[in-house]
Amino acid sequence: MKPRRFPWFSYLLVAVGALIMVVPFLDMVFTSFKGPGEFGRLPYRFLPEDFDFANYGAAFSQLDMPRLFANSILMTGVAVFSTLLTASLAGYALAKLRFRGRAVLFRFVLATMMFPPFLFLIPNFLILANWPGAGGNDLFGAGGYGGLLTTYAALFMPFLVSGFGVFLMRQFVVAIPDEILEAARIDGAGELRIWWSIVVPQTKAALITLGLLTFVNVWNEYIWTLLVSTVNPDLMTLPVGIQLLQSYLDPNLTQPIVMAGLVISTLPVLLVFLLLQKYYIRGMMLSGLK
Amino acid sequence: MTTLNGSSPATAPTASKRSRRGSLAKSRRRQAWAAWFFLSPTLLFFGIFLVLPLLFAIGLSLSVWGGFDLTRIEFTGLDNFGAILSEGSSFVAPILTNTLLFAFGAVALALVASVAIAHAITRLRFEGFWRTLYFLPIVTTVVAVGNIWKYLYEPGGGLINGLLNAVGISSVQFLSDPDTALPSVVVVQAWASIGSAILILTAGLKAIPHTYYEAGELDGTTAWSAFWHITLPLLRPTLLFVMITQFIGALQSFALIIVMTSGGPANATNVAGFEMYQQAFRFGSWGVASAMALVLFAVIFVITLLQLWFFRRKGEETS
Repeated sequence: MKPRRFPWFSYLLVAVGALIMVVPFLDMVFTSFKGPGEFGRLPYRFLPEDFDFANYGAAFSQLDMPRLFANSILMTGVAVFSTLLTASLAGYALAKLRFRGRAVLFRFVLATMMFPPFLFLIPNFLILANWPGAGGNDLFGAGGYGGLLTTYAALFMPFLVSGFGVFLMRQFVVAIPDEILEAARIDGAGELRIWWSIVVPQTKAALITLGLLTFVNVWNEYIWTLLVSTVNPDLMTLPVGIQLLQSYLDPNLTQPIVMAGLVISTLPVLLVFLLLQKYYIRGMMLSGLK
Repeated sequence: MTTLNGSSPATAPTASKRSRRGSLAKSRRRQAWAAWFFLSPTLLFFGIFLVLPLLFAIGLSLSVWGGFDLTRIEFTGLDNFGAILSEGSSFVAPILTNTLLFAFGAVALALVASVAIAHAITRLRFEGFWRTLYFLPIVTTVVAVGNIWKYLYEPGGGLINGLLNAVGISSVQFLSDPDTALPSVVVVQAWASIGSAILILTAGLKAIPHTYYEAGELDGTTAWSAFWHITLPLLRPTLLFVMITQFIGALQSFALIIVMTSGGPANATNVAGFEMYQQAFRFGSWGVASAMALVLFAVIFVITLLQLWFFRRKGEETS
């Protein structure tokens, strides 16, 4: 509905709202340039006195940034790869392959989406800690200390498969015409070959969407990584590390450094999001299809 | 919210005509093998990280266990549930009431704002640009969102108190005053979740046929009454979906609490998820924590059903 009159009220509403959305981010950026003692000085000033990069240096020297980045990249990379692979294979099976139990398994996948993640926090922590044969554990998962929990695997293990991902891919694979798949079968192609050379290329857009959703979710993961890095600090990811920058004794002094850290950690995701926004937004819309 | 069971109808009629029965059966068998092979990583994962944990959580909630050695687990029946739900337990009040207030406040705020803004955006130019701005918090880690707002609220140098001081109001201790702490966190939760609500509502708004509005215009309806009498009623299924998903998210959310307040001051912002986390990972009361998780899950389940029931009763066909 585009009325002829200029919708000034709508403009006002949206613009004021947008200001409330953007100003906190600008405050983060501007504060990250404020010098020592500048934050907390009254009266409040939005802009820094001059653009000083010292806080970025401080964030880098106080934290092992290369390690934080490496951990975040490892965790996100493995999770995205595994989610795409398993979701695409399972989605193809549930959409196009004929076998007994397909309907039941599809319902099972839908049911997995009903359980909120917090339910699994405690049991997954304990399951990884008592993983048989890892970290000195015996075959019954007892005896050792930490099991898989102290290894890099702990970072990504709970994020390897996504029920929503399987559902999403299944909905897209269903749309591929059966004739193409049948023709390939008659030509003697195996199912793995059909999956790789027909299903994967045909669902490229959906795979990008799912990859992007997974990337953002896992990169920003906080609670699980916080737990894992209290067990083994070497496993610390960016969000957890940044939180360490603040000093509880004098927050006013360390705040600009925290903000510099936040800019460093949020920038990669913001850039990826802005570049591939179209795919991300489609994914969010599709999650509304459930 | 439709298209779920609209799976592909019988496949391969063309092939069956061409090939003989024997090779068809062989192809079927091969497909079944391939299907189980393709599904095996997913099913294995759900077995280890979904089914097993659920059983484990139920088992733990019925026992006392100090950690480490699983052979020293002691079965105590419903004692944990009795303890956390008893009168005078801090889990019921203030923690569960906080959880409900937190979720209700955040959802109400986000819903009203997102309906108004999603509707307004459809009337502007550069729709995509505006929506992107509202979407920024969704792709930002909760650590950043929490810290940014923590310092916006800061009494001695934050932006909000700076603005209040500029108009002559003295500083408010937003996060350290028990009366303002919970509402302050609620605002942040709503701020952070408004983007996805706007996105899904936009899809719902675009699905409303133009003809309704044109008919309204012929009758001389104002924009305002068109919004009340055409847009809102037709948006109801989408609103229900947004409301339910936002409630589920808000009821379990506690990352923001960890970052901003650690449940303080004096339990004023303590919510069920955070208490569960503390009981398990700080105090090692795995049984009590698991019982809390299951109670919270039950609460989420009941609230979801209540919303569905309420909307259905009002004569709305959803999904």
